[in-house]
Amino acid sequence: MPIEHIHSFLVHPSKAAEEQPRIGGTSVGLAGRLFDMLAGVYQKSEKECNIDISFNANERGEQQNDCRDVFVQYVGHPSLASGRAIAQRLQVITTHRSGLGLLFLMTGIERGYRKLLVSRFPADNGILAEENERSLNVEFLERIFMKSATSYKAALYSGRSLRDDFWDGQAVDKQVNNNLVSISDYWIRDFLLSDFRTTSAAGTKRLALCLRNAVKSATSMEVKEEIASAVKLSRNMAGRSTSIRDFVNHFGLSDDSRALIVSSLKNETLFGERFRFSREEFDKHIAFQSVELDNGGILTAEASKFDQVFQQEAVAENAGEFRFTTEGSIVNRRYKSTKS
Amino acid sequence: MSELEKSYRRRYETVLVPIAMSLEAYLRDTFSGFPRIDRIAVRAKTPESFLEKARKQTDGAKKYDDPLGQIQDQIGARVVTFYIPDVDNVAEESKKYFRSVEERDLVPDSEKEFDYIGKHFVVFVPTDVLDQEFSAEDIPKFFELQVKTLFQHAWAEANHDLAYKADEALQKEQKRQVAFTAAQAWGADHIFEKLVTELGASSQT
Repeated sequence: MPIEHIHSFLVHPSKAAEEQPRIGGTSVGLAGRLFDMLAGVYQKSEKECNIDISFNANERGEQQNDCRDVFVQYVGHPSLASGRAIAQRLQVITTHRSGLGLLFLMTGIERGYRKLLVSRFPADNGILAEENERSLNVEFLERIFMKSATSYKAALYSGRSLRDDFWDGQAVDKQVNNNLVSISDYWIRDFLLSDFRTTSAAGTKRLALCLRNAVKSATSMEVKEEIASAVKLSRNMAGRSTSIRDFVNHFGLSDDSRALIVSSLKNETLFGERFRFSREEFDKHIAFQSVELDNGGILTAEASKFDQVFQQEAVAENAGEFRFTTEGSIVNRRYKSTKS
Repeated sequence: MSELEKSYRRRYETVLVPIAMSLEAYLRDTFSGFPRIDRIAVRAKTPESFLEKARKQTDGAKKYDDPLGQIQDQIGARVVTFYIPDVDNVAEESKKYFRSVEERDLVPDSEKEFDYIGKHFVVFVPTDVLDQEFSAEDIPKFFELQVKTLFQHAWAEANHDLAYKADEALQKEQKRQVAFTAAQAWGADHIFEKLVTELGASSQT
């Protein structure tokens, strides 16, 4: 059985509270219905935790992180006391907006690697309905903890050496796409003292270059147009957590476009790695858009303004042909030895 | 040949050297167009150098009980800039593209000493430089990124060759001579910093 220890703690929202409430904690037995449910969460965590994160260095730039320290302490000596230190970290940064939560710590060993899953189930209200032969009883229930589809959070770590590993892991934060930055910062930045392992600039540059290369190497005009449309729309994604896979799915790119994008990546992992989209970085690498016509004409403008600079209309009598119009004063004239 | 040596030699040839080459190209691309970068070089730690480090002791005990997992500079990168303000600019730019777990300004312990100076980062190896066929077990998690001025670089190279690798401990006079060259490199960097500040060259891109 890979899970060796499970501890659970009730974490109150106590950010900035002068007096921290006592944290109730318990060990969870390794059998029974609760265990079966948690074992399912533990097993699925590798698939579910899909944001690669890493701990930050401390303020002095040293290889030390307060959150990692309490995690490593717990993995080395799993107990209510070492687990409570993790719960305390979470409690002091939990606001009333995030609310009451039930923290589960699960640890075990798989193929020589120690694994730690830290997961937070938010509290909710519910209604208990009990039916008997004569009637139906309904009762309002508070403090129901559910693996909510919109606010469940977890972080998964594995490693062999407590001293040297456990610097990076994977997280899931169902609120990370929320525009309210304070909510998405709660789990990864404030509690885990971590950030995405792929920086916003690095991930966005990778996406931009991969789209640029895909358009360049595409032989089909449909694929080129499809990717160009996605590029145009992507400018609304600023600050969102995404991956190249997400981008392809979000804009419904065809199998041909997808294959071209995947083939331009050095390895498959890059397709799924998540990062925060940076419009500034994206525009740095997809700065200009050019359209080449079969009459030899080439139109170039800033990618983000191309459609404002050139108005495009279909030539009615000839399908596939377009008329581009623009107006402006001539500020320069250039000759080039090559098209690109 | 020990098991450790066998494992490292295999890792060196099959993974570290190819990663070093890809990483150098990646860094060149990251800093392309950046002003006053003299060179970017990435190297995989040679098996000899790795084994020497792996044997190191502290307080009579082995410093590393799992050298393959613990030695973090199996791949080392150096970005060499012209002037001191460029070091800070490169360091800031690198933080935009690389995640680090350590950032250190290496300076002598005492203000009366002249010795090794440099900005060092311990950085996650970006996934972008990894080939599909690399064995996951052999991929190092980190590499060391150093950012130095030309004078810091020149002094570090000569010092490594003469003093650090010397078979015998340096004599007092030789130590003083090494410190003197460090002081001269430090002085040259500071005079250039003063000049570029006065002439506004550090803000030119």
